[in-house]
Amino acid sequence: MRSKRKAAPWLHMIPAFLLIGAIIIFPIVYTAYISFTNMNLFHWDDYSFIGLNNYVRALFKVDTGFLSAIGVTLIWTVLNMGIQVALAFFIALGLNARGLKLARFYKTLLMFPWAMPAYVSILLWKVGIYNSEFGLANKLLGLFGIDKINYLSRNVPAFISCMVLNLWMALPFMIMTFDGALQSIDKSYYESAKMDGAGFWVSTLKITVPGVRPVMTPAVIMTTFTTFKQFDIIYLLTQQKGSLSGATLQTVITYAHQNAFVSNNYGLSAAVSMIIFVLIIAFSLFMNRGLKEEA
Amino acid sequence: MKKKKVRRIFGIAFLNLAFMILCFVGLLPILYALLLSVSEGASALSSSLFAASRGFTLENYRSILVEEPFLRWLFNSVILSVGTMVVAMACSVVAAYAFSRYRFCGRMQALRGLLVLNAFPQILTMFAVFRLFRTLHLLDSRAGLIFVYAGSMCIFSILNLKGYFDTIPVEIEEASKIDGATELQLLWKIILPLARPAIIVTAVMVLIYVWNEYLFATTFVLNESSYTLAGGLYQLQANDYSRSWPLFSAAAILVSVPILVIFFVVQKHMVSGLTAGGVKG
Repeated sequence: MRSKRKAAPWLHMIPAFLLIGAIIIFPIVYTAYISFTNMNLFHWDDYSFIGLNNYVRALFKVDTGFLSAIGVTLIWTVLNMGIQVALAFFIALGLNARGLKLARFYKTLLMFPWAMPAYVSILLWKVGIYNSEFGLANKLLGLFGIDKINYLSRNVPAFISCMVLNLWMALPFMIMTFDGALQSIDKSYYESAKMDGAGFWVSTLKITVPGVRPVMTPAVIMTTFTTFKQFDIIYLLTQQKGSLSGATLQTVITYAHQNAFVSNNYGLSAAVSMIIFVLIIAFSLFMNRGLKEEA
Repeated sequence: MKKKKVRRIFGIAFLNLAFMILCFVGLLPILYALLLSVSEGASALSSSLFAASRGFTLENYRSILVEEPFLRWLFNSVILSVGTMVVAMACSVVAAYAFSRYRFCGRMQALRGLLVLNAFPQILTMFAVFRLFRTLHLLDSRAGLIFVYAGSMCIFSILNLKGYFDTIPVEIEEASKIDGATELQLLWKIILPLARPAIIVTAVMVLIYVWNEYLFATTFVLNESSYTLAGGLYQLQANDYSRSWPLFSAAAILVSVPILVIFFVVQKHMVSGLTAGGVKG
């Protein structure tokens, strides 16, 4: 009886763990294995082990481009998260202003970019907004007599374009989460703060910010991971198969993908993937500790 | 006092104006696509701003539905998303229940492991999965893709459902246990109805994920007739992009409508259903 009790939870998990084992865990182990070989297009089956060579190449040779990809990814994540949290906070504050009767209506409209399929949005932006010949962005510039800009052909404009698109796609979730968090704050705090003569900024800093924090921290961490992992925007805007835009922007994820599926450098790509995996584990351990200390 | 009132009214008016502009800018790309999808091919390519609005036509929608294998792709998408939903939910509901209701040794470690695995970007192991599937002859097959999708969404579903199950009081189950209900009956008759919001949101997230996934769908599927909508649309714009631009807009609108409808139907539960289970171990 006792042993049956003990086995029960594990029996429940067999199907899920078989699935996760086959689709998630085994490929990670296999990727680790590939990272120690020189597997590429010419050595598809007759690859040989080359020890840590791929890791050395990725981490210590500047010309492989991995180090700069790490830099780009960091800038990308920090900028996106900073702007996103700040904007979403103020938009949500506006939505919760007293007397704004149309708030629900605005919320529904603002939700659209979140509801749209991500790849559809990206492709629509690519052809509809950023296209240098007939994109909306250049048509608008044309109204003011400004010359056409090729948004995606150089790195800095391409980075900014990708960021604007990412903000457009990611802001709705942030706004809605902030909105939910704001509504969970007890309104009486504000009234007593007003009695004490506190202005807007004081009550925002002293009541609103601490009040939304417990709800927002997990949401922000979750979004930080998705921003860090963001692949579709950069890939679809600048480096699709057959329509390279000219920009050579790479984050770590697009870098790994490019080495696996474009330049067929499977060994190097696998080594990069493993490094990213270690970084993610380190980051999430660090985050867990931060969360615990706050609680 | 009066001065304050005037200031309030101005403040609200200003907010309304700001939000109208914000909403318009937010919707602009979608509105523009809508406009393009009903315009004639030639006018969309001109570089003046309002030319696109001349010449209303539903021709683009007609030719997407008739000339492109759109319906075939739609069929594939439906099969794949429903199949994935069934497999992923069946596996994760039972596992999430065990995580929520049993206290066993290794539980915390397993949960923490799932959290880490959940943060791992799947693109990074796509090549390994590709090689594995080639050896097992699972490329170009629906079952193969369903396994990949179900595996990718399984961890998310477990964590999300477990978070919600935790909020359901155990007493209800204990009462029915005394009445002699088996575990499976318990899960089916008591837990599932109580956890409906979380089940719906999780299932919808799985559905949306499959519906929107283009990378695996184009890498693992090699012939056009088994593409999903996402894969087909991706190919459509990658291959003959300038000719089919208004056509592409029409297809994009058609693909998005079902997702938009589903999204706004379950929207009420979306935020709470997603953050309840979220990051908490």
